[in-house]
Amino acid sequence: MSYSTINRLTPYVFLAPAVVVMAIALLYPLMYMVFGSFRAWDPSQAIGEAEFAGFTNYITLWHDPNFHESLIVTLKFAFSVVALEMLIGVGLALLLDRSLRGMSVLRTLFILPMMIAPVVVGLIWRYMYHPSIGIFNQTLESIGLGSVDWLGKHALMSVIIADIWQWTPFIFILALAALQSLPRSALEAARIDGASGWQQIIYIKLPLMMPVLIVTCLLRLIDAFKVLEVILVMTEGGPGLSTEILALRISRTATEFRELGVAAAMSNYLLMLLLILTIAMLAYNKIQELKKARVKVLIDGDGS
Amino acid sequence: MYKPLKLIGMAAVASLMYAGQALAGPYDPYAGTTLVVNFPAHPHYNAVMKILPEFTKETGIEVEVDQLPYMKMRERQTLELGQDEGDYDLVAYVVFSKADYVYADQLENLARYFMNPKLADPSYDSDDLIDGYVYNIGFAGGNKGYLQGKTGSLFGIPYGSETSVLGYRKDIFAKHGLKVPSNYDELLDVACQIPNLEPGMGGLSSRAASGHHASHAFLLHLAPLGGRVFDDQWNPIVNNAAGVKAANALKTIVDCGPKGAATFGFGEALGSFLNGDTAMFLDTTVVAGQINDPKKSKVVGKVGWAMHPMGVRRGSQTGGFGIGIPKNAQNKEAAFLLMQWLTSKKGDKLVAMAGGNPSRFSTHQDADVNAKFPHMKTFGEALKHADPDWRPIIPVWGKINADLGTTLSKVLTEGLDTKQALDGVAERTRKVMEDAGYYTWQ
Repeated sequence: MSYSTINRLTPYVFLAPAVVVMAIALLYPLMYMVFGSFRAWDPSQAIGEAEFAGFTNYITLWHDPNFHESLIVTLKFAFSVVALEMLIGVGLALLLDRSLRGMSVLRTLFILPMMIAPVVVGLIWRYMYHPSIGIFNQTLESIGLGSVDWLGKHALMSVIIADIWQWTPFIFILALAALQSLPRSALEAARIDGASGWQQIIYIKLPLMMPVLIVTCLLRLIDAFKVLEVILVMTEGGPGLSTEILALRISRTATEFRELGVAAAMSNYLLMLLLILTIAMLAYNKIQELKKARVKVLIDGDGS
Repeated sequence: MYKPLKLIGMAAVASLMYAGQALAGPYDPYAGTTLVVNFPAHPHYNAVMKILPEFTKETGIEVEVDQLPYMKMRERQTLELGQDEGDYDLVAYVVFSKADYVYADQLENLARYFMNPKLADPSYDSDDLIDGYVYNIGFAGGNKGYLQGKTGSLFGIPYGSETSVLGYRKDIFAKHGLKVPSNYDELLDVACQIPNLEPGMGGLSSRAASGHHASHAFLLHLAPLGGRVFDDQWNPIVNNAAGVKAANALKTIVDCGPKGAATFGFGEALGSFLNGDTAMFLDTTVVAGQINDPKKSKVVGKVGWAMHPMGVRRGSQTGGFGIGIPKNAQNKEAAFLLMQWLTSKKGDKLVAMAGGNPSRFSTHQDADVNAKFPHMKTFGEALKHADPDWRPIIPVWGKINADLGTTLSKVLTEGLDTKQALDGVAERTRKVMEDAGYYTWQ
């Protein structure tokens, strides 16, 4: 073996143990889930003892109206919360990106909700939405407006509000960090060219923040697809199946129905959905970067 | 002279040692053992925590308790009982877990413990245990597979079991000259009169939230109104006339109930009654302690108790918890001793006095218990009609229960037609039962 070959392979040899450990740690549970999804697997059995079921679990779910309903609820919930949280979080970041007295205290206060355990958040909101002793209905009634059936007819909206309350600060922090790391020269140039505050936001700040916002949006989307505790505590998925998101259905299928194989298949459907979303968003991000790079080359070319 | 004396002395010591061994208490071999038990966070088991030190004092056996919210407890047990060597020596299981655990061969058959003279206390008096509870929670392998019968065996003992009774506001009933309902027609009539007589007050607190709560509330009415989920051939009959009547009774109760009643879980339903927002509460006996606790209740001293109203028959619920020994437990014999002590006459009275639910007829009639908890007498009467078959306890029940509960929630909140909804449940239930092999012999 030549010296150059050895030289080329050396880093890989040193990296190999870490890569193997990481691969096992990362892939083993995934493989376990995929393996389990092809079996008629009951919690009382070891996975190897469970009967092979082929694609039965996947096909069963494909024809299961309750699974379809849960999927639709999940999509509605995830896209609603992420869209609204992005809007409010980025808006707040743009509003508070300035040096005012007490701003650091205000920023700290904003991030408090995301530090609270989800079960506690669920309980707090459940009691705030309580039809008779809840603060919302008491306030509405005290000003002469009728009470609202928060966790009944408007259950999905109510859990969306609770999630927005808890997770908007996450967007806010990342958006604020992105804003504060923007090149001051670009903003200065825009100001000198007479760009209004609004124009600065639309044409300078948001485009420059976009890579961070896309990753933030992706992280929240992945998380929103997997929300469990808040909804479990607030509505237990009801009324009917109106707030039964997939994570809750997966949990029920595994523990109440004792169908681990079906639960694993459901998790794999969710995983595939998230993979498609992730690839689409990362691809979009890449395209934007390539577009920017091409514009930069063109500008640099003109200038040279 | 010296040798015979020495021999006599040795013989005397040996005899004393033998006699000492023969007279050793049943707990002595296990003194110093630490049992790990898994109990739910539940009023009964909170009372159990108060009496466990007495067990340790009497037996020398230490008890370490892993107390969890009961759904969490079930999740933990699902994982724990599947291991080769388990962490738990004794588990409390919610009644519908019985089918899952027994079917998966995860609970010890208790016969070999009750047959062991070194372990079984002759004064245990198993006939004093409440029949409905034992058959509902402890037995498996008999009639229908989950009840008592000639082929059945005992896998657990009821502990923290409950039946249903009607709690009513004595002051409100007296104020308006209302008769305490003894049948379903009267119950529904009074429930819907209350909101008119007492503006802002609901008739009856019921759980109705999607899933288990709605299903539970429906089944509570189904048995007395003459219905069952299955006939004797496992055909779903939940959609027959009795089923529709039970679902409509639940709808009437919710419609005449407090604000937001359609989304009430057990906690909200009870909270509403404790807060004075409803005039009646028809559910488990476990609530009595909280109703009489001035820290939690605004209706202390205002609540009377009556039997679960009659439909075409009497049939109050049986539910709650039992205790069993996992197949993979490390200290099975000591665990049996704890189980036996807790459910003995002495243990049952102790836990009742500490605010728990007794599992014995004699405890319900005990003078001390009745002096401290006067409602116990009515509860004892109700137990005579406790129906162990008010809810099927089969391995696929979790799935059927969830479907029944979510569908009924749609009836209550989205105005789905009752008959059509129950027809759908019956159809889907048939498919679940077919897949599980219940029609193999048809």
